[in-house]
Amino acid sequence: MIGEGLQSSNQRKHSYVRDNVEVGFFTDPTVCIGCKACEVACKEWNHVPDDGFTWTGNSYDNTGHLGASTWRHVMFLEQDRQKGSQITGPMSLGDHDPFRWVFLSDVCKHCEEAGCLEACPTGSIVRTETGTVFVQDDVCNGCGYCVVSCPFGVIDRRPTPLPDAGGAFKCTFCYDRQKSGLVPACAKVCPTESIVFGRLDDLRTRAKERVQHLQGLGYNDAQLYDPLETSVRGIHAFFLILGEPEAYGLPPKPQVPTIYLESAWTAAFATAIASLIVTLLAFAFSS
Amino acid sequence: MDTSASEQRLEQLREKAWQEGVVPGRGVDVAGGPIPRKPGYYGEPVVKPPVWTWEVPLYFFFGGIGGMSAVIAFGAVLFDHVDLARAAMWTAAIAGAVLSPILLIMDLGRPHRFLNMLRVFKHRSAMSMGAWILTAFGACAVAGLIALELHAHQISPGTLNQLLSFAAGIFIFGAAIFGTLLATYTGVLIGATAIPAWFLHRTLLPIHFGTAGLGSAAAVLELMGHRIPALNFLGFYAAAVETALLIWLSVAKHGAADRAIHEHGSGWFIRIGEILTGPLALILRFFGFIPWAAISFLVGALVSRMGWIAVGKVSGSDPESVFAAERY
Amino acid sequence: MAEAHPVGFRWVMKAKERGATIIHVDPRFSRTSALADIWVPIRAGGDIAFLGGLVRHLIENNLFFRDYVVHFTNASCILRDDFRDAEEGETGVFSGWNGELCGYDRKTWLYKGDTGLSFPERDLTLQHPRCVFQTLHRHFARYTPEMVEKICGISPELFHKVANALVAASGPDKSAAICYALGWTQHSKGVQIIRTAAILQLLLGNIGRPGGGILALRGHASIQGSTDIPTLYDTLPGYLPMPRGDGSEATLGDYLAAHTKRTGLWNSVPAYFISLLKSYYGKNATVENDFGYDWVPKITANHSFFEYLYDMADGKMEGMFMMGQNPAVAAANSRFERASLSKLKWLVVREMVEIEAAAFWRDSPEVGRGELKTKEIETEVFLFPAAGHAEKEGAFTQTQRLLQWRQKAVDPPGDARSEAWFMHQLALRLIAKAKQSNDPLDEPLRALDWWYPEDELGDPKMEAVLAEINGWYTNPQPDADGVVFGVDREGNPHHGSQIDSYLRLKPDGSTACGAWIYSGVLGPDKINKANSRNSKDYLGHGWGFAWPSDRRIIYNRASASPTGEPWSDRKKLIWWDQAQSRWTGIDNPDFPLDKSPEFRPTGNERGLDAIRGDAAFILNEDGLGWLYVASGLQDGPIPTHYEPLESPVHNALYSRDTNPAVHWFTRQENRFAPPGDARFPFVLTTYRLTEHHTAGGMSRFLSHLAELQPQLFAEISTELARELKIDNGDYISVVSLRGAIEARALVSRRMRPIQLNGKTVHQVAMPFHFGSAGPVRGGSTNDLIPISGEPNVTIMEAKACTCNIVPGRLPRGPAFEDWIARYLPKDGPPNLHPEQPAVDAPCARAGGGHGLEGKIDNR
Repeated sequence: MIGEGLQSSNQRKHSYVRDNVEVGFFTDPTVCIGCKACEVACKEWNHVPDDGFTWTGNSYDNTGHLGASTWRHVMFLEQDRQKGSQITGPMSLGDHDPFRWVFLSDVCKHCEEAGCLEACPTGSIVRTETGTVFVQDDVCNGCGYCVVSCPFGVIDRRPTPLPDAGGAFKCTFCYDRQKSGLVPACAKVCPTESIVFGRLDDLRTRAKERVQHLQGLGYNDAQLYDPLETSVRGIHAFFLILGEPEAYGLPPKPQVPTIYLESAWTAAFATAIASLIVTLLAFAFSS
Repeated sequence: MDTSASEQRLEQLREKAWQEGVVPGRGVDVAGGPIPRKPGYYGEPVVKPPVWTWEVPLYFFFGGIGGMSAVIAFGAVLFDHVDLARAAMWTAAIAGAVLSPILLIMDLGRPHRFLNMLRVFKHRSAMSMGAWILTAFGACAVAGLIALELHAHQISPGTLNQLLSFAAGIFIFGAAIFGTLLATYTGVLIGATAIPAWFLHRTLLPIHFGTAGLGSAAAVLELMGHRIPALNFLGFYAAAVETALLIWLSVAKHGAADRAIHEHGSGWFIRIGEILTGPLALILRFFGFIPWAAISFLVGALVSRMGWIAVGKVSGSDPESVFAAERY
Repeated sequence: MAEAHPVGFRWVMKAKERGATIIHVDPRFSRTSALADIWVPIRAGGDIAFLGGLVRHLIENNLFFRDYVVHFTNASCILRDDFRDAEEGETGVFSGWNGELCGYDRKTWLYKGDTGLSFPERDLTLQHPRCVFQTLHRHFARYTPEMVEKICGISPELFHKVANALVAASGPDKSAAICYALGWTQHSKGVQIIRTAAILQLLLGNIGRPGGGILALRGHASIQGSTDIPTLYDTLPGYLPMPRGDGSEATLGDYLAAHTKRTGLWNSVPAYFISLLKSYYGKNATVENDFGYDWVPKITANHSFFEYLYDMADGKMEGMFMMGQNPAVAAANSRFERASLSKLKWLVVREMVEIEAAAFWRDSPEVGRGELKTKEIETEVFLFPAAGHAEKEGAFTQTQRLLQWRQKAVDPPGDARSEAWFMHQLALRLIAKAKQSNDPLDEPLRALDWWYPEDELGDPKMEAVLAEINGWYTNPQPDADGVVFGVDREGNPHHGSQIDSYLRLKPDGSTACGAWIYSGVLGPDKINKANSRNSKDYLGHGWGFAWPSDRRIIYNRASASPTGEPWSDRKKLIWWDQAQSRWTGIDNPDFPLDKSPEFRPTGNERGLDAIRGDAAFILNEDGLGWLYVASGLQDGPIPTHYEPLESPVHNALYSRDTNPAVHWFTRQENRFAPPGDARFPFVLTTYRLTEHHTAGGMSRFLSHLAELQPQLFAEISTELARELKIDNGDYISVVSLRGAIEARALVSRRMRPIQLNGKTVHQVAMPFHFGSAGPVRGGSTNDLIPISGEPNVTIMEAKACTCNIVPGRLPRGPAFEDWIARYLPKDGPPNLHPEQPAVDAPCARAGGGHGLEGKIDNR
């Protein structure tokens, strides 16, 4: 909570790694001011290179999307809808001519069932003690398979001539900081605690209460984005969103691509066996 | 004020866009008037397109040839076509044990770490399985080739020769088994991903890649001069299956989810490829133009692989395809 | 506030979470508006009309906090019979206007009687026709909601929403705060806009209350400090006025007579000033030589930034030291600024990167176009590397008057050094040179007491400087209690123990103090309170030091009723403890601790003794909160709506369009379009983005910030985009009567067209962070803004002027001249605005009076 100072879960030291506690991020756009401190802190701490100087004209979002060199990405949505009971004059007193500007800091979802982790053939991507998904950069050989296996389009391969090019990069959940009992950089700097770091179960409880509280204040389209009922089985970095996931570029029903393995391998084996048989038959009938 | 017809048309489009939000049609990007309304979040991709370049489709192509060549070699060995077997094993070794690994390593972001592929064995990762399949195949193919060549050249007489023959048989059998997997697993590789155009065709892809591999191997051997009925039979079989797959692909559409294939230019690579490996190869072979049929098949197999990767890039960049694919 | 003070804004968000209503008034829907409960789109420049409308609403409907207003404000004070309000004749001009001097003779504004502002005559029923309250009532009578709509484009329904929210949030057990920043200050009537807010808050009883007040959010981190220990030409530390050089303050006695007030805190000017002189000149300042008064520079004219910029442009300025400023991008009319810099003989720039002001001679739009030729520029630029904020020690003073000490984290790299190092080393060299010379002109330098001990890098020990600022007893006693840094550079005993408050200061030379308002920060307990970080209560006591005397809420006597009890338990802050006969409470009382609420002066007292027990505003001579400013402002005792100097409409309230006392700085390069000029139909306002910092020197050069906002853009409404056939992202050229730049169009519903008196007016908003240097570049928005000087503080009107938009990119090279000639006539008179004085008028450049920070001036 804002103003708890060092007592806040975003500031106080912890021993989650040592105690194998599952951690998470709860990101709440209703208090986000779009300041992008999270983007900058992440880059500063992790020495992430810049991602190009391109003005997009997409509201104040010149970052575009998550990628190998962007691990926190603040979205800016300008919508013809109302935010809670906000009045955006002059003509309107809330009802006609509604307008709102929503900010949300996107990040790697650290899935319960992670597509990138399953896909990684070198064992570079692993699950840490705190349940986060971590890319060991010294193992990754840049095969790029994780890139097409993420249902959220998070991880990417860093192109040359950027530093450490060739490998796949994404949010580390500041694993190095966590090992020292510190809080991830983005959560630490978020001035309004829109990004909350803490125990995953605590965060999920808190988030549910928050949604109810907001709906009471008139935020009719507030909902949680935490796809527990899909094959992803929930995400450790989950969000409160206003409106539908599509508006944020979030898939409503994400799936971990390993669910496609069964039918694919079946077809593969069938073809394999058929090829063998047909070949033998081919020789048999022409000898 | 320029009142030419095109300017007037632009004016109309602006007005329409302002009123309705989106103006459908190609080459027109005035959706929403001054502020285009794009799907998803400013039209940004929801997943990520593949980062792979030309090495990967080429690897699919050579891997298919190499893997299925070993199958043909196995058949040849069983039915005493030693020359064919030798040619097939050379093809298998070069395509599958030399070119394929080189192409794969070249495609890595950090090629010097290619051995890390063998740090783990993950059955839930098609790429991990593929790395092991390729390794196993390569070992068997090279060993099998050496044994076969030594046996064929009668290097050592007697029991050693019999041993070599036996060894060749075992290794070639191994190469054949792993070869079928080498040729088909690549379909699983791209089928089990988050790219809609790919995962919606996860059953078709292994069948297509495997059959294309078989037909390509047969075609290569035919072009090398081995004009035998068995290979001709395989040529017909492969072309027939490819034709059926083309029909299946064209009929079983998934709307916006795989519009990369059916509405985008890159889909034509797949279709042209399939035509070349399917109906055209069939017809050419039917009329006896075997070398042309073989060439057609080979070109088609390569073009089709490239098409599937291209389609993957388009589909991966298309937010609406991801949303639409959730229905399936 | 979310844009420019994102970390501070967390407290607004916390308040919102606890149920506070957040109202954001701004021409554009910014990131602050996104989190507000109510966004009020206002036409840039209409603020006084809007706030005045709220004032009228409170008065008309009897919604003001009566007890507070009657006792704590000067609502009851009676004015002179010859005072004429701006309302009379609807002229917009007060009595005493001298057209020739472009200034007011302000005698008629004073209270009735001959005691000046002390012991005024009052009518506590507020009925007297000439009392301040009734005057205010008449003055704002026409500021109806309909008038507000005409001038600002705010609908009456929205107006009432805001008014109701404000009223509901004020009173004995509630309070509301107003936060403002440059959106109010950078106007030709900026001070008056803030004054209107002050009136509002006084009527609502919000000043001196917890959760109330007016928070002036500054433009950057220590700018409060830069007026406290001023970098301004016309004030001395602690807001003492700089002595005048026109002969009227030739002696110390003259100065003290002119500026010492009979009553209130300013009665102690002699103590503050003489202690300051003792800190400057040490033992060289004695009773005999008037404590060195002759050595203090005296001002001879208005030497504020734009004044000397014109001197620079006319070739009258030889050189300049430029530290922590980038006027080539940040100054109004930056195109003219860059051209003027080329007239200097030498320029010393201290910076961390080569900013545009240091590189203008080789790289600027003018050099690019050939308007300025590098070969012909004779300015010699010395670029000194500067240390960053973590590489030096010192204090920042921010908007809450809070001094926070900054420790040095690392040594600066290479030759980079702090400002303190630079000034210290420069002073040592200059003093050494002065000591070698016999020139009487060098006497002040010789007399300076430059005692500061240094560290290994040559930086003065900043805590020693702080100790001097805090103040000490001048009798050298290095071993006594409470002495810090007791010896000087030569190792000689230098001073006695620290003082703990400005109340200790004496005019006899026994005390020295660098800034009386800071006294107490490093007292005899030797603790640097600016460096403490143990917050003990919600006010933050124990974290830093708030001047004066760590009072966190100024005028907090007003949080208690006239009889001394808190207005409510919920909002208690300080109160009178009857048993102990002392003021006590959560905050340090901003009031004499032992003055009972019942105390009434007889009329012969001086200083704080003259303040009644129920008068909270001890800085003022009458002890009252000023709804009406009888003395101290150049342009009126009551805020009056004036149009911005460039406006699309005329003043709907008065026959006078603009602020009569404003400085126009008339010049060919600095012209103003007349009202409603069809060549420049849109209102232009400028603003800041979170991602960048002022002129961009500290943000554009950092890749992590530059990539967040890499290009200059102009925000326009969808309606305007449609009208001009501009799509989102198109290049557009924005042109004003001063210049033209190109930008990308950011079309958004966050900008709205405004209906002003039946006329549709479009507003264009642009950030001003870009320049021609660094990895991300763009046009300097200030090229478009004219130079002007608000009458009290000479600040420019950067928040409202007019412009035009031309779709397409700006022509390059020589084609630019032809293109821009369509909008900026090459010839013709420089004063195009009908209310601009004639070119040869005496007041053409400077208005009457100097900028004196609104403090003391009764000329």
